[in-house]
Amino acid sequence: MRKRSLLLCALLVAFWLAVSAEVDMQHLLVGAVLAILTVWFWQDLGPRLPRLLSAGELLLLGHCLLTLVRFIIQSNIAVAKTILLSSPPVGPVFAVMRPPIESNWGRVLLANCITITPGTVTVDIDPKTGQFIVHVLTGEAAAELFNWQIIREISHLESWKRRRTEHAMATGRSHDTDSFRALTGDHRSDSH
Amino acid sequence: MIRLIRFLANLCFAGSFLAFALGTLGLFRLPDPYTRLHGVGMGDTLGVGLAGLGLFLLSPTWALRIKLVIVLVLFWTINPTMTHLVAKAGLIHGVYPVEGTKVIKE
Repeated sequence: MRKRSLLLCALLVAFWLAVSAEVDMQHLLVGAVLAILTVWFWQDLGPRLPRLLSAGELLLLGHCLLTLVRFIIQSNIAVAKTILLSSPPVGPVFAVMRPPIESNWGRVLLANCITITPGTVTVDIDPKTGQFIVHVLTGEAAAELFNWQIIREISHLESWKRRRTEHAMATGRSHDTDSFRALTGDHRSDSH
Repeated sequence: MIRLIRFLANLCFAGSFLAFALGTLGLFRLPDPYTRLHGVGMGDTLGVGLAGLGLFLLSPTWALRIKLVIVLVLFWTINPTMTHLVAKAGLIHGVYPVEGTKVIKE
């Protein structure tokens, strides 16, 4: 836990210095004090943060992001064509779907990926059932969304992470218990 | 080399301008607030991305480039969240979609 707080402090100071106009003792001191205060203030959030990603997970996430960039470019071209060439311009659709993703972070990631791709906007997610309501510009785009590659990639990443967490719990690494609770959204033992 | 970098940066700026222009055209062409979000999304993703890439190429120092990358990452994280909130607020407050909007289930 202390190791994680130190890492968070270091990351915050690095971020502060990156966005500061210059690096001198004054900026460094102010950044360090603010980083320590921030980490202290948000210390209850610590157990809910996921564990650091492994190299394999980072690779999977990187592949997922590259695929997303490809889809963003493709959808930009598709939306541009729809705006310029279609008449009437669109046949919009509310698509209701239940992707096979169970964790909160997976759903948030998918919702962001859907919304950042032009032509699709996540309107609502039911946290109990995992049902997504997505506004889609055209019917064809909705059909593509149901079999979207990003959904499979996030589902793959989620099952990979779950297997690793379960393995870590079986071998008795206590800090992974926290991340397993964060992964499954179980915060029953929180007293506040 | 500098000329090539400048040329690529200008190409990025032209692409960014095009994305923003088409997004703005979408605001006029598209029929309801939900569909207009898609049009504006073009400028928010490709438009901002290409402008950022152009500035990245022209930046004189790495400190400036790192700041640009941070700005882009923050932008691409916050922007979909706000777009989602606008759409959800519309749905909650009873903004009707354009006539002919279908609901399809997987």
